[in-house]
Amino acid sequence: MPVHEPGRRLMHFVPLDFVHKKVTGHGGRATNAGLSLTSMIDFLIVVVVFLLMTFSASGETPPAKGVRIPSAENTLDMIDAPMVAINGQQILVDGAAAGNTRAIEDNKRLQRIDELFNILKGKREVWKQLHPNKDFPGVVVLQIDQDVPAVVVKSTFQTAAFAGYPNVSFMVNGIPKSH
Amino acid sequence: MAGVDVGGGGGKGKRSLDSEINMIPFIDLLMVTIAFLLITAVWSHMARINADAQVPGPPRPDVEPTDIPPEKILHLQMTSPEKFTIVWKSGSQVVTSVDVPRKDDIKENHGVKTVRYGVVTCKPDDQPCFNAMCGRAPESRSLAETIACEWSNNGSHRAQADKKLDQAVLHTDNETQYVFVIGVIDAIYQTHRKAESGSPLKVSEVPAFNVTFAVN
Repeated sequence: MPVHEPGRRLMHFVPLDFVHKKVTGHGGRATNAGLSLTSMIDFLIVVVVFLLMTFSASGETPPAKGVRIPSAENTLDMIDAPMVAINGQQILVDGAAAGNTRAIEDNKRLQRIDELFNILKGKREVWKQLHPNKDFPGVVVLQIDQDVPAVVVKSTFQTAAFAGYPNVSFMVNGIPKSH
Repeated sequence: MAGVDVGGGGGKGKRSLDSEINMIPFIDLLMVTIAFLLITAVWSHMARINADAQVPGPPRPDVEPTDIPPEKILHLQMTSPEKFTIVWKSGSQVVTSVDVPRKDDIKENHGVKTVRYGVVTCKPDDQPCFNAMCGRAPESRSLAETIACEWSNNGSHRAQADKKLDQAVLHTDNETQYVFVIGVIDAIYQTHRKAESGSPLKVSEVPAFNVTFAVN
């Protein structure tokens, strides 16, 4: 079988001039197509405005690993305060281990958590040394897993109050109000 | 080259008034801004619910103690799986007591639970709405609605100029899961009232109660 020169073959056999012009590419539309920049810039500006409106300069406090925070509607904004996380049986203060809740869950009885108490008291004393002329705000935020029993919540709450943190806040996922 | 024709026209050998704005740096800037904002975007909104511990201040021997009559305090007991009990107490004396059937509205989304006990739809100054809501039988009202009605009937701090809030104390048993406690505190905070604050004075809606978590 002979070897043919490569090239366009489609509809070559049609003996009409306009068909020939069309299939060989002569007289057709230009292959360079103009891109409409106006709509693209409009889209980009809308995206930038949306993202700027939802931007939060204060950043976000992520919950400790494994802690499932419940949701609530009537909430306040987060504040900068020591963060006590209770994940299952482990207690963390600003990410550092501060005891566990096993004894409370076993006894099912309210009790002070000594390790947590000492760490919070230490943080309070450091704050007072750093801010000698200011009143101590006494705010602590509790990040507690949704399934933790109330006896553990009460014990943590009481321990924080004993350590000089009477203004206790519970961390929640803020959801929009339904009314 | 991407560009925008700004119109105008020249002619007769003069330099053309048409000029092209170079759009490439502009599009680059938009792209970089979008990339930065997308990377730093926060999609989950963490918030807090306040529950102070009502710890008395240090003793002040220099101040003569005054005899202050005890205020009415709302005590909400969630110790029974069937009902909530709302009790107004003045000191140790019970003023009123009402039971509300417990209806846990639990929603779960990706493992995160939300427990709700009704919604108060009335605005703080909408007295006809409050009258209609509180005129219904207590059994047909949700916990949030009953708390709002109880505050409407017994609340001590209702004037706009009054900066103090009524006190609510939540009592739970030891086994109740934390998510239910948050649901009840959220229901208490649904009752709002108008209050003046700031300088110059501005009227805004604030929660009618300050919630305390009882540890006994």
